[in-house]
Amino acid sequence: MQDNLQAFPTGSIYPLQTSLIEFTNVTYAYPLPNGGRIAALRDVSLRIEAGEYVAIVGANGSGKSTLARHLNALLVPDSGRVTVAGLDTRDQAQHATIHRTVGMVFQRPEDQIVASLVEEDVAFGAENMGLPSAEIRARVDEALATVGMADMRLRPPHQLSAGQQQRVALAGVLAMRPRCIVFDEATAMLDPAGRRAVREMMVNLHRAGLTIIAITHFMEEVLDAQRVVVLERGRVALDGSPEAVFADPDTLRTLGLDLPPAASLARTLRQRFPVLPTGLLTVPALVEALDALPHHAADLPVTQVEPVPVVGTPLIEVRDLGHTYMLGTPLAQRSLEGVRLSIAEGAAHGLLGATGSGKSTLMQHLNGLLRPQEGTVRVGEYALHDLQTDVRAVRRMVGLVFQLPETQIFEQYVGDEIAYGPRLQGLLGDSLRQRVRWAMELVGMGFNAFKDRFTFALSGGEKRKVALASILALRPSVLLLDEPTAGLDPASHRELLAHLCKLKETGMTLVLSSHQMEDVAALTDHVTVLDGGHSILNGRVTEVFAQGERLRALGLSTPVITQVVEGLRERGWVLPPGLVSSTALIEALSRTLSSTD
Amino acid sequence: MHDFEFLRFVNIGQYLPTGSVIHRLDARARLLAGFLLLVAITAAPHWTGLVIALGVLLVGLVVARIPVGYALKGLLPPLPFIVFLAVLQVLFGPRSAAVTPLWAWGPASISTVSLLNGALLVLRFVALILALSWLSFCISTTEIVRALDALLAPLTKIGLPTHAFVLMVQVTLRFLPLLALEAERIAKSQASRGAEWGTGRGGLLRRARQALPLLVPLFLTGLQRAENLALAMQARGYQGGKGRTTMTPLEFRLADAAALALAVMLAIVVICV
Repeated sequence: MQDNLQAFPTGSIYPLQTSLIEFTNVTYAYPLPNGGRIAALRDVSLRIEAGEYVAIVGANGSGKSTLARHLNALLVPDSGRVTVAGLDTRDQAQHATIHRTVGMVFQRPEDQIVASLVEEDVAFGAENMGLPSAEIRARVDEALATVGMADMRLRPPHQLSAGQQQRVALAGVLAMRPRCIVFDEATAMLDPAGRRAVREMMVNLHRAGLTIIAITHFMEEVLDAQRVVVLERGRVALDGSPEAVFADPDTLRTLGLDLPPAASLARTLRQRFPVLPTGLLTVPALVEALDALPHHAADLPVTQVEPVPVVGTPLIEVRDLGHTYMLGTPLAQRSLEGVRLSIAEGAAHGLLGATGSGKSTLMQHLNGLLRPQEGTVRVGEYALHDLQTDVRAVRRMVGLVFQLPETQIFEQYVGDEIAYGPRLQGLLGDSLRQRVRWAMELVGMGFNAFKDRFTFALSGGEKRKVALASILALRPSVLLLDEPTAGLDPASHRELLAHLCKLKETGMTLVLSSHQMEDVAALTDHVTVLDGGHSILNGRVTEVFAQGERLRALGLSTPVITQVVEGLRERGWVLPPGLVSSTALIEALSRTLSSTD
Repeated sequence: MHDFEFLRFVNIGQYLPTGSVIHRLDARARLLAGFLLLVAITAAPHWTGLVIALGVLLVGLVVARIPVGYALKGLLPPLPFIVFLAVLQVLFGPRSAAVTPLWAWGPASISTVSLLNGALLVLRFVALILALSWLSFCISTTEIVRALDALLAPLTKIGLPTHAFVLMVQVTLRFLPLLALEAERIAKSQASRGAEWGTGRGGLLRRARQALPLLVPLFLTGLQRAENLALAMQARGYQGGKGRTTMTPLEFRLADAAALALAVMLAIVVICV
């Protein structure tokens, strides 16, 4: 059955049979406060068959979420027609049936949980269907077992990690026994282990016969699907297999998208080694293709074990730091214990760890938002464990960009938002303007083009840049970034990374926490891994990522380059240690591949 | 040092599942008992009733296996307000001609009666806060919602939208801690941009002005969350209480009836002594 679907992805050879979901010339526009309308979907026609696994991708503002909301009648078209299992979504009377046919898991786990107990939340949808108590109980048990959360049934959801909450949300949908589940960027806010778990479940549910529709910004997740629909400004731009869509990287770029990391690496390698075949999308495929090339056991160059540079006293020094939230109450929760960290001036330091491992708590100690309960924290000349220290001076020196910083914007105009911090420092008139201009240019926003724009009307990526500029305007010498790229679309993600690289080149010390291993590899030189509030690994990014096994056990992962190197080593290749950049990998490969010269 | 942990000693709304005898009672019995006690404390005319109520609450805390010290710490955050109200009551409370003031200056005066009234006010507020904390230690928000739903069900017969009301309560209860966390996050973020949060400096006016950068994002994210939740609920087929069933029907046993009877008796004592 699945083969058939792959062969005829649009199902168009069965004109008489109704598809599970059918869009016919669907147009939808959001009303604006001034009475106008902004088009989100323009003449979209689409068929999704029962049992398909479809990925829907597109840049911010391409209409993905609007499309998703049409899939189960949360929105109904302005013109055109959407049918779900043959039922027209404009018929209010059918909504109950449509909602139980197509379930939906949303992006923010904490926003979709209704009840304050896991099992009661899972029961919510089934209760709405008016089932008898025993039947609800049976369905809830089954759904919780399917997502592996049966042990957590009596826990309050807010005590769970984001990944676990997302599984609870999925269980709530499963308890309604839908035929199709839509995942609306359901993995965007999760750590690597959480993402892995949710992805596995999507694949398993598809195998079990459900129709899966996944909306995502992560191109590697698209590879799980049989079919990709690419949206651009409200229209379907591409519709085909992942192999077909990823075969044309240039078109993808113009659509604001990217290749999956492994495919992107394969492409870079092919520029140097044209013998590599095209169409390599995954790490195993790339490893296989490289291994198939004639190679010899290269005489390893004498590995230059670089001594850890001794740079006098580091700029940031954390020793035996401990922290407990709600100290002195029955709800006390240990968050950090015996944490050690030292960061040299001008370095870029990564913090890795699963959700709840203490990364954010540690960061908040570095600019004095939290004062050490145990141990010491020294930043430059300031000893933060000394209560006499003026924290405001520390905060001026160390800027902290929180997760999703755009949610904290409060001014109406971009210029005012960025000027808030410097103004509090006493800057006025021309020097204030200069400062704002400088900060905006650092993140690639033209001063004249953007200063008078409304903050609420910016795109997600632009808002993120405003939030970053509003911290940079304080001229910090250290910048702390908590998940700086989370939730951005591929184009904004790429752009933000480029700006952070530039900041690093200006000599600013960067400390960043991220669930995106590719970002950590691209930006940082040293990494600290946190687990359950302990700093358990400290070292160069190359050394840390060499421990793939251990990182995966901690719920983390490694960048694709490291995965490729690991795969080649397993096949008996001898490669020098510490390969995390494509240039280093190319150099190592050119020594090993026989045919290249 | 802990300026940002806004919720640290706010224990109203903090459920502590200790599994005590009280926790095992039917949710309706617990909710009604707590409600009766609150009404009694509000209505008690004499200080003897309030002292008895405080005694009952202390026993209640011990039986529910709640650390009494922690419960008492919950009185600290609202204490300045209570004292402020008490001072107002003492100075500007109703005066009767029969009582000669001990001290008077313009509209302000102090008499033995107003002093007594002030003390009564402090006592009443302390008892009310303790009773509310006790109730929230002993009953989870889910249980409140289910109990309310069951207790109000008869009113649907006369056409009142009780399900919608109960859902509103449920969502509010679930979102309060989230909003508090959000407020903490935003305050920290603005502090990183040079606002005076957490440094213990700045006058009253300055602090009020700083509320803006806190309130605007809080309001916006609150709205956003509410919209997200509404969508998620709609997607899970919520259409008001119509045709809804429940996974775990409530069960009212003899022990629950006994506990409720005890609560009624205590409430009468508090009001009538």
